[in-house]
Amino acid sequence: MEALNPYYPIPTKIRDIIPETSNITTFILEGMPIQFEAGQFAELTVPSVGEAPFTPSSSPFGDDLEFTVMKVGRVTEALFELKKGDLVGVRGPFGKAYPLKAFKGKEIFIVGGGVGFAPLRSLFLALVHNIKDYKKVYIRYGARTPDDLVYRKLIPQWQKIKGVDITLTVDVGDGAWKDTVGVVTVLLDDIPVDLAQAPAFVCGPPLMMKFVTQRLVEAGFKHQNIYLSMEKNMSCGIGKCNHCRVGKFYVCKDGPVLTWEDVKDIEEPFL
Amino acid sequence: MKLYLLPSNNIKSLIKKLAQDGSVYYPILEDDKTHLVKYAEDKDFEPDFEKIRTAENIKHFFFPSRDVVAKFPKDSKIKAVKQYLFGVKSCDLKGIDVYDRVFLKAEPVDPLYQTRRENTVIISADCPKPADCCFCNLVGIGPYGTGICDLNVTKTTNGLVCETFTKRGEEIIEKYQDLFEDAGKEEIKEREGIRKGALKDLGKINEKPFKEDLAERIEKAGKEVMRDAHKECVECFACLHACPTCYCFLLSDYKKGKDIERIRTWDACYYAAYARVGGGANPRSDLMERFWNRFLCKFNYFNEYEGLFACSGCGRCYRGCSAKIDIREILWKL
Repeated sequence: MEALNPYYPIPTKIRDIIPETSNITTFILEGMPIQFEAGQFAELTVPSVGEAPFTPSSSPFGDDLEFTVMKVGRVTEALFELKKGDLVGVRGPFGKAYPLKAFKGKEIFIVGGGVGFAPLRSLFLALVHNIKDYKKVYIRYGARTPDDLVYRKLIPQWQKIKGVDITLTVDVGDGAWKDTVGVVTVLLDDIPVDLAQAPAFVCGPPLMMKFVTQRLVEAGFKHQNIYLSMEKNMSCGIGKCNHCRVGKFYVCKDGPVLTWEDVKDIEEPFL
Repeated sequence: MKLYLLPSNNIKSLIKKLAQDGSVYYPILEDDKTHLVKYAEDKDFEPDFEKIRTAENIKHFFFPSRDVVAKFPKDSKIKAVKQYLFGVKSCDLKGIDVYDRVFLKAEPVDPLYQTRRENTVIISADCPKPADCCFCNLVGIGPYGTGICDLNVTKTTNGLVCETFTKRGEEIIEKYQDLFEDAGKEEIKEREGIRKGALKDLGKINEKPFKEDLAERIEKAGKEVMRDAHKECVECFACLHACPTCYCFLLSDYKKGKDIERIRTWDACYYAAYARVGGGANPRSDLMERFWNRFLCKFNYFNEYEGLFACSGCGRCYRGCSAKIDIREILWKL
């Protein structure tokens, strides 16, 4: 039987565009061109420019497919030029989903940095969908300045959800900022979870990943319980082109989330 | 195992008959190198089955250096073209073995590779005279086809001794039975002698085997070993593009009329931007790390997933290298 073409992106349109910060925007697509589970990612095509990998930031149980994207390279710069109704393509989902069932009855500890909070949002929304299944969901989120925080309007609503505990920090505050000031690790001095049981999830820039992981290991999280979103150069998304290799792992196929147990012996795994 | 003989004066006839069913590529000797060329009715030809593998690897028959893998927004399918590759050597069969594992056996199946592979009949030929660059005996294979091919031939005095490995191979013998006869004891004995001779020569060329824990030694090699290994590299990357087992590629999109074509091109892990991400981070910004990645990929990672080295011992990397870096020397030292 002839196989489906895994390189073909499903055409869809941009339904809405929500600016988050000066260089981060959420793109909401029309319909649900792909069904995904929390932890999986997709390749987003900007026609005639190319594609880049992103983890959806929307709920896998919702009716929208959203990507929160930072303008950093050729494809994302072109994406930011697009308007509502413009054509894009989506391939996926790729990679492994989080083993959500294994987290039932446990405390969940999520640490995000900058735009790294975007993929964690789909995890968070998946957890919220069945919030009673989990003991408590903690979010520790940091960005450079208050203006660099994504989902600023949504966070106050999330803070009201029973069983959710969210703390924010910024490297540099402004006159109106009342929360913590400092890099995200300042929120990790006190980790109020059962370290022997709780899974931790981290996503952010390479340096943040390095120091947060170090802190979580020191705090006593089990290495196999520290889930790390790996940002790697990806082309095919299906474990063939070889670009995203980290040690023996294909980040696109074995990841995009690997555990500290997986990568701890690799020199500078977050680079 | 039944062996057949394709008498010398029937070789060209078989090629001509196969050409009625699809494109036939056969090896010719030119400037002391062999090349696979396409049979054309109007040209006289003299196939060579004795020289080592062709100068070019054969992966482009299944995985062209530039390939349209999808069209957007409306996709179109690849046209299946029947082709016969005649005279392929065992090292290139190993290359196909590696490709089969990546593009056919590992999910999801690559439909382009699948179409070309299913429409390609592979007739391999023994490699009776290994050259100084050859080291197939060090990477788990020998100088003749034992699988992957549909049919393997050994050139003997009276013609090609043929052994079938697949139904497609058997069908060739059956369909063109007038050209074949049963191999006699004399030819079978000659084939044994040719094979023994080739193995003996390979043993002389490569006296030392690689150490049994080679994969582990590559993983644990220190910076000094890596620095020493790559110091002569001038970054021409001939080794990777000439390699029959390297399969790295890059997808990029181009506008063509109203449509967009997604193009797959060969890539190589030695390029500086190969692993760099949009934000600028690069896990292998240093040439030394990229150079060693090739060894890790071929002898450690692939071995862990598939239980074999992604190296065919064809020696094209050494022959193509501007600095004449011999991969064997690096591996023997470990």
